[in-house]
Amino acid sequence: MKLHYKPKRNLLETILQVEILQGLALTLRKLFSPPITRQYPQEKPPMYPGFRGQHALVRDPLTNESKCVGCMRCATVCPSRCIQIRFHEGESGERVIDQYSIEALRCVFCGYCVEVCPVGAITMTEAFEYASYERETIFFDQEALLANWDHFCAQSGHDETYVNPFWRPRGARESTLPASQRMKVPDDWTIEGQFVGTRVRQAQESEDARHAEAVNG
Amino acid sequence: MMTIWSSWIWESKNHEHCLPAGESMHYLIIVLQIALLLAIVLLHVAYVTYFERKIIGHMQVRLGPMLVGWHGLLQPIADGIKSFFKEDIIPEQADKPLFLAAPIICLVTMLTSLAVLPFARGWVLADINIGLLFIFAMSSLASYGIILAGWASNSKYTFLGGMRSMAQVISYEIPLGLSLVGVMMLSGSLNLSEIVAAQGTSLFSTYLFPQCIGFFVFFIAMLAETNRVPFDLPEAETELVSGYITEYSGMRYAMFFMAEYIGMMVMASIGTVCFLGGWNGPFAIPFFPPFWFILKVYGFLFLFIWIRATLPRYRYDQLMALGWKVLIPLALLNIFLTGLFKVLVS
Repeated sequence: MKLHYKPKRNLLETILQVEILQGLALTLRKLFSPPITRQYPQEKPPMYPGFRGQHALVRDPLTNESKCVGCMRCATVCPSRCIQIRFHEGESGERVIDQYSIEALRCVFCGYCVEVCPVGAITMTEAFEYASYERETIFFDQEALLANWDHFCAQSGHDETYVNPFWRPRGARESTLPASQRMKVPDDWTIEGQFVGTRVRQAQESEDARHAEAVNG
Repeated sequence: MMTIWSSWIWESKNHEHCLPAGESMHYLIIVLQIALLLAIVLLHVAYVTYFERKIIGHMQVRLGPMLVGWHGLLQPIADGIKSFFKEDIIPEQADKPLFLAAPIICLVTMLTSLAVLPFARGWVLADINIGLLFIFAMSSLASYGIILAGWASNSKYTFLGGMRSMAQVISYEIPLGLSLVGVMMLSGSLNLSEIVAAQGTSLFSTYLFPQCIGFFVFFIAMLAETNRVPFDLPEAETELVSGYITEYSGMRYAMFFMAEYIGMMVMASIGTVCFLGGWNGPFAIPFFPPFWFILKVYGFLFLFIWIRATLPRYRYDQLMALGWKVLIPLALLNIFLTGLFKVLVS
């Protein structure tokens, strides 16, 4: 194969410097195209499902407390070890949380803690503007995490169903998911096989069957 | 405001001819005219930077300045205030007198060349017979400012920038001068007003068409002379930090900046006067005779900005090769052809 780094020009093209004129035409065309700039502080970026923003503990509307059962899965799966949980045994053997804290400055925002949570207690909200001059305000204890949730709900209008649809391990069968993550998924979120709900699986299976039939027949 | 100015000019002419007693009045009026011209030109410098940022921004599918004032219209004023109050740093190892003089040399020479530009018939501060030569002299002197800035800062980057500027100016003064020799031959004058008058009033009688080779050479040499992209090697940001102005800050930095933009405007005016027929347009504009002149200069400035948004910087040896091997022979050919044409016609 022969590479042409510099295509040949004829004399007229050399005199008129066509490449320069082409470049000038391109920039002139772009001068009148609409700019893609987003005027950030006034104009917020659009939020997509599954945005991994500020951490929050979902406030259970029944108990008005955190849903956390102290299973330690999030603390175990966390790759940056930024979740700390302390608990003691209650009267009937349940775990009572003494301390639940996330050091958000160490967090890598992988979202594993949300995926593994069996009760949908921890989530990542769509809030991302919480930069601060004090490190202490970015170290979230249990109260701060619950307050993050309240703040997010008040601002965005979401309720506790926000947690369920997206935050589930990808490709996992619905029957293997914990109960809290088996809630209904909106139809437009069943893309790329991320959510293997009953309906999607049935649709896929019937399509596979049709395909097999077409191949055999 | 413009009509007041033109009436001043008339008055000054009258004083000159009829009233020798009003000599001091005459000088006062000239000083006022200079002040007015300075104010207008510096305002233009400020807003050329604004439009440069806006146009380049939109060409790169961005917005450019948007925050200060409506669509960032007050941005140049904010920039001016900022650079005025910024700390003026003089490096310890710098050659202090030269370091302080360099931006002043740059700015003063550029401002001086404004004096001979004819904005309209009679709208010229100094209608001297060697106008074109005076402009050349001033633009060459301005490069001394750049070279001295590079030398006096005592830093690698400024030194390299200064050296590049020296070589570039020596290479490109020659084609710039030679490209205008054809214009001088056709008009038979170095006086800028007479050059405009010699071109007649219609677009097709301007020197753009008989001197198209000259205009081509002039345009490229003009870009190089004003240190604009694609010939901005003296202040190549990607290689030399900021070239010869690396060590400057605050108002001194702003002075180099102003000198560069006034240089652009002066060169655009020379191009307008020598090739595009100066203040003559398709029809006369009442009360504001320099309308067409200003429009043409704006066109040139847009071209400067447009080219900056399009072309990458030349390599140093390419710059030299272009100057010596292409532009100078072309300019000489242009002179030869013009002379031949004149001999054949007469």
